[in-house]
Amino acid sequence: MVGASIEVQVTTGLWYVLGFAAAGVGFVFLTIGLAWLLSHRSKGDRHKGLPYESGIDTYGDTWGRFGLSFYIYALMFVAFDIEVIFIFLWALVFRDVVLGGFISMVMFVGILLLGLGYAWRKGVLSWR
Amino acid sequence: MSIITRPWSRMTLAGKIILPLLLLFVLLNILIVAGQMTGVLPVLVNGLFQVINDNVDIFRFIGAVTALLLFTVPAAFVIIFMEMKLIAFINLRLGPNRQGPWGVLSSTLHGFKVLAKEDFTPTGADVPVFTLAPVVTYLGAVMTIMVIPFAPGLFGLDMNLGLLYFFAVAGLGVIGLMMGGWSSFNKYSLLGGLRAAAAIISYEIPLTLAVVGVIMLTGTMSLNAIVLRQSGSFIDWFAFQQPLAFIIFFIAATAEGGRTPFDLTEADSEIVAGFATEYSGMRFGFFFFAEYVNLFILSALMVTLFLGGWNAPLDIQPLLDWLHITVNSAIDPGSLGIGLLWIILLVPPLAILAVTLPIWMIKSKWSFLKAFIVGFVIVNVIGGAILAVWAYITFPFVAGLFWFFGKAFTMVALFVIMRGTLPRVRIDELMGFAWKWLIPAALLNLFVTAGALLVLQAR
Repeated sequence: MVGASIEVQVTTGLWYVLGFAAAGVGFVFLTIGLAWLLSHRSKGDRHKGLPYESGIDTYGDTWGRFGLSFYIYALMFVAFDIEVIFIFLWALVFRDVVLGGFISMVMFVGILLLGLGYAWRKGVLSWR
Repeated sequence: MSIITRPWSRMTLAGKIILPLLLLFVLLNILIVAGQMTGVLPVLVNGLFQVINDNVDIFRFIGAVTALLLFTVPAAFVIIFMEMKLIAFINLRLGPNRQGPWGVLSSTLHGFKVLAKEDFTPTGADVPVFTLAPVVTYLGAVMTIMVIPFAPGLFGLDMNLGLLYFFAVAGLGVIGLMMGGWSSFNKYSLLGGLRAAAAIISYEIPLTLAVVGVIMLTGTMSLNAIVLRQSGSFIDWFAFQQPLAFIIFFIAATAEGGRTPFDLTEADSEIVAGFATEYSGMRFGFFFFAEYVNLFILSALMVTLFLGGWNAPLDIQPLLDWLHITVNSAIDPGSLGIGLLWIILLVPPLAILAVTLPIWMIKSKWSFLKAFIVGFVIVNVIGGAILAVWAYITFPFVAGLFWFFGKAFTMVALFVIMRGTLPRVRIDELMGFAWKWLIPAALLNLFVTAGALLVLQAR
């Protein structure tokens, strides 16, 4: 693999990833299927299918509204995760871009840190 | 002969297993003899070797995928047993001690028990999503194992994007947890799934930022190259060049794996069992399985990035030189000729007798059989030890596997001890810690590393 060209590496990698995903899905469904054959099943009465919420009958709609905090964390995650991908590439070629790369990365991360500071100041980071 | 005359339904379980194996063995023998006599067998074997030789890439792929997928099963069993036993010792209990010696078989039997349990779908659930959720979670855990180098020459694929691939695929697990939480039609499940998603995505950022320092030091994302850069003694490991990154990575990995003190995702005393509440049978089993595979993978990645991977902490070559031992890996058994046969035939019985007779003579109350069994065990242990040392010195991959698994399971044990000693944090502490402490610390580590590299290059 060391001496192989980039195209060969990409193709091999793609096949490995796809093949591994297919094999993994196959493994899981095979095992679930085997369990399906081995296990006993009974229909039970009406109460068997009820959601288990500590023994009390479920009340209201489950797929309703939930806390806004989750949404804001997800939003900040997207911003920072894309930042991380840029930082990965920058770190890879850091020895070639040296000082100019360093300064531009300081500016890039600085802008994002301003956003983080704003969110912090607004109290978004405190779970409510 | 009674085993054959007895009807199938009245046979014991051992008989049900042994009889088909016996028949298969006889059939195989007949086939081999017939093949040899007609001359078909050599042609077939040669053809098979030819096919393997022509498609060596495809066969390597099939072998690697099979080995890696099947490897996760015993690894998870070992980790589950280790966790049960260690936590029992921390709690001053005995832990599992019935199934096999010291209860070593208990986790395996639990696995088979889960296989035979009823797999039940609740009434209100979204069935396709409900079924796919454990698949996605398990895939997110197991597909990352492909890029981890276990030993020199033993890895799934040496990808030049290894680290990025790892984090990309590991992110898949969150989707599975959310799918499971959403489709269960249970408020606790929904809450657990959302908590899991919020916690895991928050800790994914410090986790990924912490490894940037390592990428900067090595200039590559291939995990094999990163391990090779840490060869030498233990001072060359990146844990000593990037201590802050190592600590951040360890804390974030604890949260990523959903381990105490950050196990808010399935805090059983608060939200029943989180996203897994409504699951049963093998679909629950895969959530459980994925959790332990994830734990192993995170430990393995930590070892690979910061603790030198399969490198030994100290190079034994100077010691060998000092002892004037030259490793002769090219032992040729054929050169011994007929002597080899005599060695194989005579050395083991003579060695066993040489150990057994003194024991029998000293311990006058022991029967010869008892002394013989003890002598047999002693000779086998000594012989195994000699063989292990020889393999360790001769084959680099044996030494690599030894150190890799030693370090990885030490890290797993550390996670388990943490679970046994630390209480769970509150969810606001959990989220605040990631965003207010870990991310700034990881960015600080990043810029300190960059500055240090700049200074070193300017000199």
